[in-house]
Amino acid sequence: MTRFAFLAAAVLSLPAAALAHHGWSSYDASKAINIKAKFTSVSWANPHGSAKMQWNGKTWDVILAPVSRMEARGLTPAMIAPGQTVGLVGYPRRDGTREMRIERVIIGKKAIELR
Amino acid sequence: MTGLDSFAAAVQHSSFGEWAAATPLVYPVANTLHLLGLVMLVGGIGIVDLRLAGLFRGLPVAPLSRALTPIALMGLALLIPTGATMFAADPQTLVHSPIFRWKLTLILIAVTNALAFRVLLGRRMEAWRQQPPAAARVMAVGSIGLWLSVAALGRWIAYGS
Repeated sequence: MTRFAFLAAAVLSLPAAALAHHGWSSYDASKAINIKAKFTSVSWANPHGSAKMQWNGKTWDVILAPVSRMEARGLTPAMIAPGQTVGLVGYPRRDGTREMRIERVIIGKKAIELR
Repeated sequence: MTGLDSFAAAVQHSSFGEWAAATPLVYPVANTLHLLGLVMLVGGIGIVDLRLAGLFRGLPVAPLSRALTPIALMGLALLIPTGATMFAADPQTLVHSPIFRWKLTLILIAVTNALAFRVLLGRRMEAWRQQPPAAARVMAVGSIGLWLSVAALGRWIAYGS
Protein backbone atom coordinates (compact mmCIF):
# COMPACT_ATOMS: atom_id res chain seq x y z
CA MET A 1 0.00 0.00 0.00
CA THR A 2 2.92 2.39 0.57
CA ARG A 3 3.53 2.23 -3.19
CA PHE A 4 -0.02 3.36 -3.90
CA ALA A 5 0.29 6.08 -1.30
CA PHE A 6 3.46 7.24 -3.03
CA LEU A 7 1.74 7.33 -6.42
CA ALA A 8 -1.28 9.11 -5.06
CA ALA A 9 0.98 11.69 -3.43
CA ALA A 10 2.92 12.16 -6.68
CA VAL A 11 -0.27 12.89 -8.62
CA LEU A 12 -1.88 15.05 -5.97
CA SER A 13 1.20 17.20 -5.47
CA LEU A 14 0.90 18.56 -9.03
CA PRO A 15 0.51 22.32 -9.36
CA ALA A 16 -2.10 23.22 -6.81
CA ALA A 17 -1.55 26.88 -7.61
CA ALA A 18 -2.92 26.47 -11.10
CA LEU A 19 -6.69 27.05 -10.83
CA ALA A 20 -7.05 30.10 -12.95
CA HIS A 21 -8.39 30.00 -16.42
CA HIS A 22 -11.20 27.93 -17.83
CA GLY A 23 -13.31 26.74 -14.94
CA TRP A 24 -16.29 28.90 -13.98
CA SER A 25 -14.92 28.91 -10.43
CA SER A 26 -12.21 31.41 -11.36
CA TYR A 27 -14.89 33.98 -12.27
CA ASP A 28 -16.87 35.95 -9.71
CA ALA A 29 -20.58 35.28 -10.32
CA SER A 30 -21.52 37.80 -7.62
CA LYS A 31 -20.17 40.62 -9.81
CA ALA A 32 -22.24 40.01 -12.93
CA ILE A 33 -21.43 42.43 -15.74
CA ASN A 34 -24.32 43.38 -18.03
CA ILE A 35 -23.22 45.62 -20.89
CA LYS A 36 -23.59 46.46 -24.53
CA ALA A 37 -20.27 46.23 -26.28
CA LYS A 38 -18.52 46.10 -29.64
CA PHE A 39 -15.72 43.60 -30.02
CA THR A 40 -12.50 44.82 -31.61
CA SER A 41 -11.47 41.31 -32.61
CA VAL A 42 -13.09 37.88 -32.47
CA SER A 43 -11.54 34.41 -32.56
CA TRP A 44 -14.18 31.86 -33.61
CA ALA A 45 -12.12 28.85 -32.60
CA ASN A 46 -11.76 25.86 -30.31
CA PRO A 47 -11.17 25.02 -27.48
CA HIS A 48 -13.38 28.11 -26.97
CA GLY A 49 -14.16 31.28 -28.83
CA SER A 50 -12.66 34.50 -27.53
CA ALA A 51 -12.80 38.21 -28.28
CA LYS A 52 -11.31 41.52 -27.28
CA MET A 53 -13.13 44.74 -26.48
CA GLN A 54 -12.61 48.18 -24.98
CA TRP A 55 -14.50 48.71 -21.74
CA ASN A 56 -14.02 51.69 -19.38
CA GLY A 57 -10.95 52.65 -21.33
CA LYS A 58 -9.25 49.26 -20.93
CA THR A 59 -8.80 46.27 -23.20
CA TRP A 60 -10.68 43.22 -21.94
CA ASP A 61 -10.40 39.58 -22.96
CA VAL A 62 -13.77 37.94 -23.45
CA ILE A 63 -14.10 34.17 -23.10
CA LEU A 64 -16.90 32.59 -25.14
CA ALA A 65 -17.86 28.90 -25.57
CA PRO A 66 -16.65 25.98 -27.73
CA VAL A 67 -17.52 26.46 -31.41
CA SER A 68 -19.91 23.52 -31.56
CA ARG A 69 -21.89 24.86 -28.57
CA MET A 70 -22.13 28.38 -29.98
CA GLU A 71 -23.36 26.98 -33.30
CA ALA A 72 -25.83 24.63 -31.62
CA ARG A 73 -27.33 27.55 -29.68
CA GLY A 74 -27.72 29.62 -32.85
CA LEU A 75 -24.84 32.07 -32.51
CA THR A 76 -22.91 32.85 -35.72
CA PRO A 77 -19.61 34.66 -36.30
CA ALA A 78 -21.49 37.41 -38.18
CA MET A 79 -23.63 38.21 -35.10
CA ILE A 80 -20.58 39.04 -32.98
CA ALA A 81 -18.27 40.35 -35.72
CA PRO A 82 -16.15 43.41 -34.80
CA GLY A 83 -18.29 46.55 -34.86
CA GLN A 84 -21.61 44.79 -34.17
CA THR A 85 -23.39 45.84 -30.99
CA VAL A 86 -23.62 42.83 -28.72
CA GLY A 87 -25.30 42.49 -25.32
CA LEU A 88 -23.13 40.57 -22.86
CA VAL A 89 -23.81 39.07 -19.47
CA GLY A 90 -20.66 37.72 -17.90
CA TYR A 91 -18.41 37.54 -14.87
CA PRO A 92 -14.95 39.01 -14.27
CA ARG A 93 -11.94 37.02 -13.15
CA ARG A 94 -11.56 36.84 -9.38
CA ASP A 95 -7.85 37.62 -9.57
CA GLY A 96 -8.44 41.03 -11.16
CA THR A 97 -7.18 40.13 -14.65
CA ARG A 98 -9.23 42.08 -17.22
CA GLU A 99 -11.02 39.06 -18.57
CA MET A 100 -14.68 38.05 -18.43
CA ARG A 101 -16.42 34.81 -19.15
CA ILE A 102 -19.72 35.15 -20.91
CA GLU A 103 -22.87 33.53 -19.53
CA ARG A 104 -25.13 34.77 -22.34
CA VAL A 105 -24.98 36.90 -25.44
CA ILE A 106 -27.96 39.07 -26.39
CA ILE A 107 -28.38 39.82 -30.08
CA GLY A 108 -31.32 42.18 -30.58
CA LYS A 109 -33.97 40.57 -28.40
CA LYS A 110 -32.56 37.05 -28.63
CA ALA A 111 -30.59 35.72 -25.66
CA ILE A 112 -28.13 32.93 -26.39
CA GLU A 113 -26.85 30.97 -23.42
CA LEU A 114 -23.17 30.02 -23.60
CA ARG A 115 -22.81 27.96 -20.42
CA MET B 1 9.00 37.82 -31.10
CA THR B 2 10.82 34.75 -29.85
CA GLY B 3 11.37 31.63 -31.92
CA LEU B 4 8.70 29.90 -29.86
CA ASP B 5 6.15 32.64 -30.60
CA SER B 6 6.85 32.60 -34.31
CA PHE B 7 6.61 28.80 -34.29
CA ALA B 8 3.23 29.04 -32.52
CA ALA B 9 2.01 31.70 -34.96
CA ALA B 10 3.13 29.57 -37.91
CA VAL B 11 1.23 26.54 -36.54
CA GLN B 12 -1.87 28.63 -35.84
CA HIS B 13 -1.96 30.06 -39.36
CA SER B 14 -1.13 26.80 -41.11
CA SER B 15 -4.01 25.04 -42.83
CA PHE B 16 -3.74 22.29 -40.18
CA GLY B 17 -4.01 24.87 -37.39
CA GLU B 18 -6.97 26.61 -38.95
CA TRP B 19 -8.72 23.31 -39.59
CA ALA B 20 -8.13 22.20 -35.97
CA ALA B 21 -9.41 25.45 -34.47
CA ALA B 22 -12.31 26.36 -36.70
CA THR B 23 -13.94 23.06 -37.69
CA PRO B 24 -16.53 22.65 -34.94
CA LEU B 25 -16.16 18.92 -34.24
CA VAL B 26 -12.43 18.45 -34.77
CA TYR B 27 -11.42 19.56 -31.29
CA PRO B 28 -13.98 17.57 -29.28
CA VAL B 29 -13.34 14.44 -31.39
CA ALA B 30 -9.57 14.80 -30.96
CA ASN B 31 -10.13 15.31 -27.24
CA THR B 32 -12.25 12.14 -27.00
CA LEU B 33 -9.75 10.02 -28.95
CA HIS B 34 -6.90 11.48 -26.87
CA LEU B 35 -8.68 10.17 -23.78
CA LEU B 36 -9.15 6.74 -25.41
CA GLY B 37 -5.41 6.70 -26.20
CA LEU B 38 -4.64 7.57 -22.58
CA VAL B 39 -6.84 4.75 -21.31
CA MET B 40 -5.10 2.28 -23.63
CA LEU B 41 -1.62 3.53 -22.71
CA VAL B 42 -2.03 3.62 -18.95
CA GLY B 43 -4.40 0.65 -18.82
CA GLY B 44 -1.94 -1.42 -20.86
CA ILE B 45 1.46 -0.46 -19.52
CA GLY B 46 0.15 0.25 -16.01
CA ILE B 47 -0.79 -3.41 -15.47
CA VAL B 48 2.63 -4.55 -16.75
CA ASP B 49 4.25 -1.99 -14.45
CA LEU B 50 2.25 -3.20 -11.43
CA ARG B 51 3.29 -6.79 -12.18
CA LEU B 52 6.94 -5.74 -12.46
CA ALA B 53 6.63 -3.72 -9.26
CA GLY B 54 5.52 -6.81 -7.36
CA LEU B 55 1.75 -7.23 -7.62
CA PHE B 56 -0.11 -10.18 -9.26
CA ARG B 57 2.85 -12.54 -8.85
CA GLY B 58 0.72 -15.46 -10.10
CA LEU B 59 0.79 -13.95 -13.60
CA PRO B 60 3.81 -14.73 -15.84
CA VAL B 61 5.69 -11.50 -16.67
CA ALA B 62 6.71 -12.05 -20.29
CA PRO B 63 3.33 -13.15 -21.77
CA LEU B 64 1.57 -10.36 -19.85
CA SER B 65 3.98 -7.83 -21.34
CA ARG B 66 3.59 -9.31 -24.84
CA ALA B 67 -0.19 -8.96 -24.59
CA LEU B 68 -0.41 -5.49 -23.09
CA THR B 69 2.59 -3.56 -24.47
CA PRO B 70 1.09 -3.44 -28.01
CA ILE B 71 -2.13 -1.99 -26.54
CA ALA B 72 -0.08 0.68 -24.81
CA LEU B 73 1.80 1.43 -28.04
CA MET B 74 -1.49 1.71 -29.95
CA GLY B 75 -2.62 4.12 -27.26
CA LEU B 76 0.53 6.19 -27.73
CA ALA B 77 -0.01 6.11 -31.50
CA LEU B 78 -3.49 7.57 -30.91
CA LEU B 79 -2.28 10.13 -28.35
CA ILE B 80 0.36 11.78 -30.54
CA PRO B 81 -1.75 12.89 -33.56
CA THR B 82 -4.77 13.82 -31.41
CA GLY B 83 -2.51 15.80 -29.08
CA ALA B 84 -0.88 17.52 -32.05
CA THR B 85 -4.36 18.44 -33.34
CA MET B 86 -5.37 20.04 -30.04
CA PHE B 87 -2.01 21.81 -29.87
CA ALA B 88 -2.50 23.18 -33.39
CA ALA B 89 -5.91 24.61 -32.41
CA ASP B 90 -4.43 26.77 -29.64
CA PRO B 91 -0.63 26.89 -30.00
CA GLN B 92 -0.01 30.45 -28.80
CA THR B 93 -1.59 29.72 -25.42
CA LEU B 94 0.07 26.33 -25.04
CA VAL B 95 3.66 27.30 -25.75
CA HIS B 96 3.46 29.69 -22.80
CA SER B 97 1.69 27.29 -20.44
CA PRO B 98 4.08 26.03 -17.72
CA ILE B 99 1.81 23.03 -17.20
CA PHE B 100 2.00 22.09 -20.88
CA ARG B 101 5.80 22.41 -20.77
CA TRP B 102 5.97 20.17 -17.71
CA LYS B 103 3.74 17.68 -19.47
CA LEU B 104 6.05 17.50 -22.51
CA THR B 105 9.10 17.17 -20.23
CA LEU B 106 7.53 14.29 -18.29
CA ILE B 107 6.50 12.57 -21.56
CA LEU B 108 10.12 12.76 -22.70
CA ILE B 109 11.30 11.23 -19.41
CA ALA B 110 8.58 8.54 -19.47
CA VAL B 111 9.38 7.51 -23.06
CA THR B 112 13.12 7.46 -22.25
CA ASN B 113 12.37 5.30 -19.20
CA ALA B 114 10.33 2.88 -21.34
CA LEU B 115 13.01 2.66 -24.05
CA ALA B 116 15.75 2.18 -21.44
CA PHE B 117 13.72 -0.62 -19.87
CA ARG B 118 13.29 -2.36 -23.25
CA VAL B 119 16.95 -1.97 -24.21
CA LEU B 120 18.52 -2.79 -20.84
CA LEU B 121 16.14 -5.33 -19.33
CA GLY B 122 13.45 -6.31 -21.85
CA ARG B 123 15.14 -9.41 -23.19
CA ARG B 124 15.68 -10.89 -19.72
CA MET B 125 11.98 -10.81 -18.90
CA GLU B 126 11.47 -14.52 -19.72
CA ALA B 127 13.81 -15.41 -16.86
CA TRP B 128 11.92 -13.43 -14.19
CA ARG B 129 9.77 -16.10 -12.61
CA GLN B 130 8.66 -14.34 -9.46
CA GLN B 131 10.56 -11.20 -8.54
CA PRO B 132 12.06 -8.92 -11.22
CA PRO B 133 15.37 -7.24 -10.30
CA ALA B 134 15.34 -4.02 -8.32
CA ALA B 135 16.17 -1.87 -11.37
CA ALA B 136 13.10 -3.20 -13.20
CA ARG B 137 10.87 -2.56 -10.20
CA VAL B 138 12.13 1.01 -9.84
CA MET B 139 11.57 1.71 -13.53
CA ALA B 140 8.08 0.21 -13.36
CA VAL B 141 7.04 2.34 -10.38
CA GLY B 142 8.59 5.35 -12.14
CA SER B 143 6.62 4.53 -15.28
CA ILE B 144 3.27 4.49 -13.46
CA GLY B 145 4.06 7.70 -11.59
CA LEU B 146 5.25 9.46 -14.74
CA TRP B 147 2.30 8.47 -16.95
CA LEU B 148 -0.28 9.31 -14.28
CA SER B 149 1.42 12.67 -13.75
CA VAL B 150 1.40 13.29 -17.53
CA ALA B 151 -2.33 12.47 -17.58
CA ALA B 152 -3.05 14.78 -14.63
CA LEU B 153 -1.02 17.63 -16.16
CA GLY B 154 -2.89 17.18 -19.42
CA ARG B 155 -6.18 17.72 -17.65
CA TRP B 156 -4.77 20.66 -15.69
CA ILE B 157 -3.67 22.60 -18.78
CA ALA B 158 -7.24 23.90 -19.09
CA TYR B 159 -7.18 25.30 -15.55
CA GLY B 160 -3.67 26.77 -15.53
CA SER B 161 -2.80 30.38 -16.18
